[in-house]
This record gives sequence, structure tokens and C-alpha cells, in this order.
Amino acid sequence: MRRVAVTGIGVLSPLGNGCDEVFNAACNGRSAVARLTGKAADRLKAPLAAVVSFDAAEHFDPAKARMLDRVSQFAVVAARGAMADAALDLKAVDLNRAGVFLGTGMGGSASMDDGYQTLYGEGSDRIKPLLILMGMHNAPAAWIGIEHGFRGPNLTYSTACSSSAVAIGEAWLRVASGSLDMALAGGSEAPLSLGSLKAWEAMHTLAAVDASDPSASCKPFSADRSGMVLGEGAAVLVLEPWDTARARGARIHGEILGYGLVTDASHIAKPSVEGQAAALRAALASAKLDPSQIDSINAHGTGTQANDAAETMAIKQVFGARASRIPVSATKAMHGHLLGAAGALECVLSLLALQHNTALPTRHLRSSDPVCDLDYVPNAARAGAAGHTMLSSSFAFGGTNAVLVLGRAAEQ
Amino acid sequence: MKTTFQRLQAIVAKDYKLDADAITADASLEFLGIDSLGVAELLFNIEDEFGVTLPVEPVDSLATVGDVARFIDTLIAAQPAPSAGAALVSQLGPVPLA
Repeated sequence: MRRVAVTGIGVLSPLGNGCDEVFNAACNGRSAVARLTGKAADRLKAPLAAVVSFDAAEHFDPAKARMLDRVSQFAVVAARGAMADAALDLKAVDLNRAGVFLGTGMGGSASMDDGYQTLYGEGSDRIKPLLILMGMHNAPAAWIGIEHGFRGPNLTYSTACSSSAVAIGEAWLRVASGSLDMALAGGSEAPLSLGSLKAWEAMHTLAAVDASDPSASCKPFSADRSGMVLGEGAAVLVLEPWDTARARGARIHGEILGYGLVTDASHIAKPSVEGQAAALRAALASAKLDPSQIDSINAHGTGTQANDAAETMAIKQVFGARASRIPVSATKAMHGHLLGAAGALECVLSLLALQHNTALPTRHLRSSDPVCDLDYVPNAARAGAAGHTMLSSSFAFGGTNAVLVLGRAAEQ
Repeated sequence: MKTTFQRLQAIVAKDYKLDADAITADASLEFLGIDSLGVAELLFNIEDEFGVTLPVEPVDSLATVGDVARFIDTLIAAQPAPSAGAALVSQLGPVPLA
């Protein structure tokens, strides 16, 4: 297996766009969760979300913009950012050996929502002719491939909340094994249509509004946690063989060291301690690392009662007595749950945390829960605490647990 | 009363944010940024604007704005007869969509 470097990062998130903006916001503990306003908000019990500030007209001509659902617009812009950041000379790349690997949980759900509104809400048969192309899950990846001319595998992973961690892991496998020379890998999600918000609300997984401070409504690992807050955005990485990246003098953001993928095969929605622990172990085995070599963790940390308790137990199972000394960050408190893009955004945050050797904070952790008794880096970032090697965990409905192992570039 | 072409020109100018002067009868749809998918969307909007019904079969051979205007006039003329549009389209051939 070849070493794989991350040489480009493009990110559009509720915390901002681009690495510096996103890292600074996360490091300063700025929450992008806010109360939703407008007509749709009146229909929601807890009108909360973490929204991306985005104007499609700045990135696409009108004809193109109308063909792309917001999820594809995010993906394409994030991929452009990653490609620009990598400063690749594509003439030197065999594009048949360049692939796109993208995760999305809900695809073009807003477009489908619009279509259903026309069909059922208005009782009209006037469905727009591009609805299929806007709604299909593989549209974001396809548009990225078209824009950059990548003719290798163009694959979309939809494993709910682990979709983009899976996409990055699968891309890593292809580049590491030598079957591809480069990959654009990440995720995109734009799940804030009324239909989607109501469906999540119906599952009773969403957080109640914190009356004193709505931006503090998502409280991972805190005893008073009440659920997750949906977010939107995209993050895309350029992956290249380490030696190729070094030879061309690329700036290396970090290294993908391994990837664990284990499925619960038990319950469609209930988190499994055994499944999560097995994924953590599989990731370590993939990177040929011992638990003692992991310095910090970016947790799945959704802020639901069930996940946070199960995840804490899984970490303790794998790391034993040392578990309580490993900084565990849950950044979803700030950027919300980006579902199929969450793994990619958190992979980016983890790479940046390693670069700056700073463990990111778990915000809104104000009351300790006996079943969540690890070091979650409560409320303030901790300099010097991210270390050299980090895990980024993504656990999903459907039971697909994915864990990425990331390394700080300067130390490799 | 506006002509079919003038009404079409207004739709294209609005949807594609183009200067109406650039939308001449001879202007190529492709040149204006309207590819085969754009044509499908344009025809959808034409149904609403002109109160015509497109046939279920795909529509092709519309290369210029003038072609589209003539096609609309044909649809309007054929409107009372439900099968006329289909007959027309069978002469035009399929849109190159997958």
C-alpha cells in the first residue's frame, strides 16, 4: 500500500468557507447554529439549523445554476476549492486514473421536495423536466467529474451519516492500492427543505431550542443534551500518493493513515457499542497502529442521548484506562450535523486540528453526565492537545460505522 | 399584441438572464447557452406561457430561437387535435437525452 497525502481542501460550511475561516471559527468556539426564520419555520417544533452563507449566482451562470440542486452547487464549489488549493497540473495526470468519491445522505432532496409540493401540494402535474437530474444522489459527484474531466470511477456513497467518511475511506483505498493516481473525495448535503426537516423532527432526534441561547441548542456529551441540529455544506479533499505529492512540491495538509468500516447488522437506527468499537479497532488495524498511538479523536458526537452514551462506551472499550486521557472533540455543537457531509467536514477539521496541534472544543457542555465521562475538551480549544495522530468517527443509521485515521503532515 | 417570437424572447431573456437584443430569430440555442436539457426546460415553460401541450414524445431539431417560435406556432395551430403534436414530433425525431 502506498502512503496517501491530502494536498487540497475545499470547504463550504456553516462555520465559513475555506480552511482558515472554518478552523478559526471552530477554534474560537463560534456556533453557527441559529433559529430558522420564515414561513417554513412556523411549521417546525424546534426551528433550528446551521446554514451556509451561499449565493449560487457568484459561482454559476443562470442556466447552470438552475440545473443544479443546492447539494450539487455545494459539491462543485467545494471541489473547485480543493483543486485550486492543490495547484495540480492536470496535464500531468492520467485522467482515466482520477476518480470522484462523494458521500451524500439525502441527495437533491430539496428539488424532490419542490416536485412533491407541485404534485401533491398544488395538485398540479407540472413537474419540471430536470427534476430527475437535480434529485438523483449521484448528481453532485457527476458534476464534479464533468467539470474536471475525471474519467476514472465516479462513485456516490449513501450510508446516511457516515456517507462521506466512507467516500474518503474508499478513495483512500483506491489511491493507496495503486489503482488510482488521484481522487477528489468528500461529501455534500443540503437537507434543509421543509419535508426533510419535518421527517427528521418526526424521528425525535432533533434538539429542542435552548431558550436562553438558540446557538447552544446542540450539546454533545452534556447531561442536558436533547438531540442534534441539522446543518448543510460540503467538504472535498484531493488525495494523491505521498511520493507524487512530494515530488511535485505540493503543500501537504496531512495524511490518511487508515480506515475502518464495520456494520452493526443489528438495528436500523439504534447505535451499537460493539459496532462502533469494532470500527475503531478496524481503523487502528488498517493504519497498523496500537491504541496507545492515537492522540485525539473527533467524535461522531451528535448530541443525542443514545449516540453519545454508546460512543463513550465504545471509546472506553477500545482504549481502556487511557480513554479518559484522550481529548475527544464533538464539533457538531458548532456546525450542526451535516449528515452525508459530516464525515468530510470533520475530517477537514481534524486535519486542521492536527496542523495547528490544537484540540477543538466541544461547545455547550455544561453539565456532566455519568455515562459520558471522557475528556471532551469542554467549551474551549486546547493548544498542544491534538497531537500527531487522530481518529475521526462517523456512525450512521443503517449501522455503517466508518472511522478515518489521520496523521499530521509535518511529522511524517 | 405580441408575436410568438416576442413572447419567446421574453421567456429566454428572463430565464437565462440575457439581453433581449441578443435573442434574434437566427440565434443558435447552443450559442445562448441552451443545450438539450435547456431546451427541455424551455419547452416546459413554453407550455405554461402559451397554454399549449407538448406531445409525450421527445422533441428535436430545434436549433435556433426562430425554430422554437415556429414550433410553438405549429403547436398552437394543432392544439384542437390531440394527435397532431405527436404526428409533428415523429417527424422531428428524439431529443438526445440518455
